[in-house]
Amino acid sequence: MKKILAIALALVVVCAAFAGCSNGSGNSSTSANNSSSAAQNSSSNSSSSENTANDLGEITVISREDGSGTRTAFIELTGVEADGTDQTYEDAVFVNSTDQVLTQVSENEAAIGYVSLGSLNDTVKAVPVDGVEPTAENVKAGDYKISRPFMIATKGEATGVAADFINFILSQEGQAIVNEEGYIAVDDAATAFESAMPEGTITVGGSSSVGPVMEKLAEAYMAVNTGATIELQVTDSSSGMNGAIDGTLDIGMASRALKDSETAELTGIQIAVDGIAVIVNNANAVEDLSVETIRQIFTGEVTDWSEVQ
Amino acid sequence: MRKKILENGMRGLFAVTACVSILAVVLICAFMFINGIPAIQEIGLFDFLGGTKWAPNNTPPSYGILPMIVGSLYITAGAIIVGVPIGLFAAIFMARFCPKRIYRFLKPLVELLAGIPSIVYGFFGMTVLVPFVREHLGGNGNSILTASVLLGIMILPTIIGLSESAIRAVDESYYEGALALGATHERAVMKAVVPAAKSGILASIVLGIGRAIGETMAVIMVAGNNTRITTDILKGIRTLTGNIVMEMGYATDLHRGALIATGVVLFVFILIINLCFSVLNNRKKG
Repeated sequence: MKKILAIALALVVVCAAFAGCSNGSGNSSTSANNSSSAAQNSSSNSSSSENTANDLGEITVISREDGSGTRTAFIELTGVEADGTDQTYEDAVFVNSTDQVLTQVSENEAAIGYVSLGSLNDTVKAVPVDGVEPTAENVKAGDYKISRPFMIATKGEATGVAADFINFILSQEGQAIVNEEGYIAVDDAATAFESAMPEGTITVGGSSSVGPVMEKLAEAYMAVNTGATIELQVTDSSSGMNGAIDGTLDIGMASRALKDSETAELTGIQIAVDGIAVIVNNANAVEDLSVETIRQIFTGEVTDWSEVQ
Repeated sequence: MRKKILENGMRGLFAVTACVSILAVVLICAFMFINGIPAIQEIGLFDFLGGTKWAPNNTPPSYGILPMIVGSLYITAGAIIVGVPIGLFAAIFMARFCPKRIYRFLKPLVELLAGIPSIVYGFFGMTVLVPFVREHLGGNGNSILTASVLLGIMILPTIIGLSESAIRAVDESYYEGALALGATHERAVMKAVVPAAKSGILASIVLGIGRAIGETMAVIMVAGNNTRITTDILKGIRTLTGNIVMEMGYATDLHRGALIATGVVLFVFILIINLCFSVLNNRKKG
């Protein structure tokens, strides 16, 4: 009796698998249809006018959860945050991972979202911002607006462990870690690291956006130079810079360019660049968005694709 | 003599294992209340439970969880509306109408439904239900309705399993008595057997509510997670569980405290539900 049951269950599983496969092929054919119709749309659009306005209807805004580094950077750089108040559209869809943003945008023609440049793939379309394509080169050149430098700063010339650690960050190994974490390295031609093996403890502190990559860098450095200990204090960019100025931190971290008052006291070194790509569905014909339009979309001032110019 | 030592030893061992589980409950309760209560005091009980604005990273921050409480209630209610009729009738069918041959397939399949990890349900919801709702019903698909349907499916095994055993536990004399009075099979089941299993069925629904209100991963993937109150079931909302899991990774200081306090509120909800469950269970016995 049990044997029959087992065979029957196996059959069910096989049937389900086949159904799944046929579904899959069905999906791919429909998506092919979609993309061809999208191509037609865009061709008819471009033939009739230069207008990139879509007939996709109401915009689905995809945002990240409160506190996410990507969201914090995005709302700061696009002006969605004003006077310390996050004005993200309250009817936006909030998801808690980059992958979910990608899935939501790739499955919804009317969706718009944002992801770190390192996580971008071809299931979605990255929109040029103010006419600049979001590529590593443009971010590095400073042409792409929604990007920010990751800075470290020391008071005067760094010595001992701090100097050795900074050398590590800017070395081939250090920059490789920056790339692995999804950020853009500042120096692709960096040389391999050779530690001077100084001993001691240093404290690094500041921006919570730089924090995760700094943690990885510190771990890797301490594995090379076992005599050194790096303590990480994650707060925010301004406290990081103030800490470096008053000497409580050996190295301060900031996820923005240093202010004039800070450069007067500190030596800043850029260790990485973080770019954020604004993404839409592949079927979306929009060719370009200005930072102002992005702000209007993400604050809910513009809610329909037909209003997007 | 040796037998007695062994017996006492084993008795001690079982007592210790029982204590471990009790200790775990006590520790979790203590942790929640010790960490959560100060945050509630700092925010103010009324501002915390009654506040409609959740913006922990604004200056000044606001920590109102009313939208999340409403969200949890909405989605749980929706799950009950979707899941209870389907589950209840499925249980009646399986207990009283199902041919043995079909039952042999049906039972393991329902149990399989209970074994699917919630993240898989969430992924199914995100890639199948969300686009379906968006295309056929409107909105962006991440909505109270989608989450309710998904949770309705997820609580089916709980409701079917418990209701079925409650119906099976009804004494056969109820059924036979009804037949003897001239009732048809359908009538005997619906009017005599099912009402007799009422308290067991209610208990299964209460347990389903407990499962629905505590579900996290599947819900945050389809619910949209908006922190505002809405009456449109095609719009999204955030649940208490979703609020905790989405922001715990970044939260510090009072924000962290507020999230633990959210857990305390959820904990109280679950306590009330469990209390209802045991009251219903006792009534069944008595």
